[in-house]
Amino acid sequence: MSLIKKIVNWTDVRVGVREVVEKELTGYLLPRNINSWYSMGSILLFAFALQVVTGMLLLIYYVPDADKAFKSVSTIMNDVPYGWLIRMCHVVGSNMMMLALLFHMLSVLFMGSYKKPRELNWVTGFILFTLVQAISLTGYLLPWSQLSFWATTVATNSASAIPVVGPYLVELLRGSQLVGPPTLGRFFALHVAVIPAVIAALIGAHLFLLKRTGVSTPPFGVQDTGNQWQGESYRYEDHPGGIPFFPDYAFEDMRSIAIYMAIFLAVVFFDPYLFFPTDAFLPANPFATPAHIKPEWYFLANYQTLKLFPNELIGLSLQAVAMTFLALLPFIDRGRERHPLKRRLFMTCSVAGLLLWIGLSIWGHFS
Amino acid sequence: METDSSRRTFLGVCLGGLGIIAAAAVSWPLFRYLAPRSASETAGKVVIPDTDVRNGEAKFFEYAGSSAVLIRKKNGELAAFSAVCTHLGCIVQWEKAKQGFLCPCHGGRYSADGVVLAGPPPRPLKKLPFTVAGGNITIG
Amino acid sequence: MGAFFMRYHDTTITLRLQLYAVMLLALAPYLFPSAACAQEPAEPVCITCHSTLPEKFSQPVKLWRGSIHAENGIYCNGCHGGDPNDAANAMNPARGFLGVPTETAIPAFCGRCHVGVLKDYLASAHGRKLGKGGPTCVTCHSNHHVVKASLALINEQSCSRCHSFERARVIRAAMQETEAMIVAIDGRISGFKKTGTDTEKLEKELFAVRNQFHTLFHSVDVELVKNDSAQIQADLRKIQVVLDGLDTEHQRRMIAGAAAVSIMLMIALVLHLLRKTYD
Repeated sequence: MSLIKKIVNWTDVRVGVREVVEKELTGYLLPRNINSWYSMGSILLFAFALQVVTGMLLLIYYVPDADKAFKSVSTIMNDVPYGWLIRMCHVVGSNMMMLALLFHMLSVLFMGSYKKPRELNWVTGFILFTLVQAISLTGYLLPWSQLSFWATTVATNSASAIPVVGPYLVELLRGSQLVGPPTLGRFFALHVAVIPAVIAALIGAHLFLLKRTGVSTPPFGVQDTGNQWQGESYRYEDHPGGIPFFPDYAFEDMRSIAIYMAIFLAVVFFDPYLFFPTDAFLPANPFATPAHIKPEWYFLANYQTLKLFPNELIGLSLQAVAMTFLALLPFIDRGRERHPLKRRLFMTCSVAGLLLWIGLSIWGHFS
Repeated sequence: METDSSRRTFLGVCLGGLGIIAAAAVSWPLFRYLAPRSASETAGKVVIPDTDVRNGEAKFFEYAGSSAVLIRKKNGELAAFSAVCTHLGCIVQWEKAKQGFLCPCHGGRYSADGVVLAGPPPRPLKKLPFTVAGGNITIG
Repeated sequence: MGAFFMRYHDTTITLRLQLYAVMLLALAPYLFPSAACAQEPAEPVCITCHSTLPEKFSQPVKLWRGSIHAENGIYCNGCHGGDPNDAANAMNPARGFLGVPTETAIPAFCGRCHVGVLKDYLASAHGRKLGKGGPTCVTCHSNHHVVKASLALINEQSCSRCHSFERARVIRAAMQETEAMIVAIDGRISGFKKTGTDTEKLEKELFAVRNQFHTLFHSVDVELVKNDSAQIQADLRKIQVVLDGLDTEHQRRMIAGAAAVSIMLMIALVLHLLRKTYD
């Protein structure tokens, strides 16, 4: 005990750790009515770290060469001890991270936390959302399976609907006329170097903004659920008399992460094939298109939307409009009220939107 | 307050214990994943008496859980191959008259050196290492 | 955002994509002279013409599409010869075009690839009657619509076209047990394949044993079938042992998974209780 104290003292007199702990952990007060949805961010941070670690481990045996990629993944799955576990964690992790991300966004939407002064938190978060989609898509190609090859062919081909520059854009994405070894090279670089670095930087920005604005008060269990922010000068939203981040909320965060991990491990060990169609285990064959190429579940709604419109450009534009609308939501919805049940119009629209998304996804799955 | 503090200590110990188990459960697969592969493939060796293969003939035997063949060419030179056809895995036959291998499934032909002469096989037969000493041929 | 603007396709779009691919390939020599020779058209010119001809000439294409040959990428020229890349010379005997074999030439025609079967067939009662009313390969296997051989080929309707079913029934019974083993192993292997298990070696082993076994049938000799079945079953059992090992491994993973999930749930519970002590 005294040894630990000595070490703490030793560091404290040099870098002042006690002050940091006091300011950032025990003295970092959160609203009294905070709920479990506020730990979605911590879950995502943990999930991202897990992706980075398992990804680095996979890099040890993965070979980013069109002739060897499939074989190397097969080796990881069959010959390297516990290679299957690392790969399953990476694949299941990416899907579960996407799910957690959707929950994080939904909780922010329903609790009105995106409203001023937190517009930038929402915008950085939204960019992170698209980056996670991009990293999933680029990672999809790397095993060089039938699924990888054809899903990427179709995904990149959609850019051709853009007028004038479309066809060239497709070639630029692929690095060649058709998906081939040059595509693998650039998707590999994007997946393991470019996008992770940008994601890490944006997570930094997202957290910085959170620290500067302070945690929002949930609109539940309080009298006035309106937005208190005036906008004439910078003000940190503090919560006097609130609960400390450490130890109180840190335990809640960790509990949420443990529950997430339990679900995650259950999928990894019992049914990871939920995320693997049969084509995922056949080597890529540029001369044989498999019968049913479907995107990952989180792209099914987009897939179905494009199928519904005879003109690809209309379908594509519609999605662009929807995405832009969502990205700019804090600038469009400027109402003061934050409680979901007191925002009738907002609730109707968002529930309808959510049901539409789920409906399109299910339709896409069975079509 | 008293009870809270003692409960915390108890739960802390539980958490520590579970944490150690979890850490071990993560460390072991990680160590195995990174550990160098052991060379266990050197295990099987097959010894065949020199007199068992006459000039121009072949001897089939089991090697490393699969079929293999040892041949002595007309000039007395020895060669050992995996007898598994590289096309779809059938076992090749030795054709004494033609001094070559024939796969009965789809008509793949190999020379006495294992080189593909005709048919669908994509690769030559896999060569096996062997040594000759004291009237015995040791494969592997 | 790029990820969002994506498009997956249904079959019509697949066709359109293939059309684009073909058009690209056609243009390729002008765009990339060096890359042009690397690519080959996916289907021979025979199919392009024959598909549009009257039924007599187009039906073989339709039948072939459902065959094991089509499944494995064996095209028209694989059996009939000729030049699959040059429409003008596709049926030129100088390019090895064979056309339709006469009845007595059929076994040799198929036997160019299926050499083992040819040998056993020629030595059998069936083969000895070749040209004298005996069956050829296509009598039982049909011609263009050749499917993966199974015991279903030996049936009363088919055999009794020439003789009573009694002998065939005995052979079929002798093969039944081994065939059932092969079918069961085949099913297990494809099950493992869906889980990302590397089944290539097992598939090849099973293929070899299966071929050996089916070749055996062509001898039409009950005693021979019975004698060799023991050896074949021993080979099959070797594959079964490997599959059993995989089953055990998967079971072990499940147990490890149950332990991992339980530990996580316990950690969650302890953390929850710890959190409550601060309420």
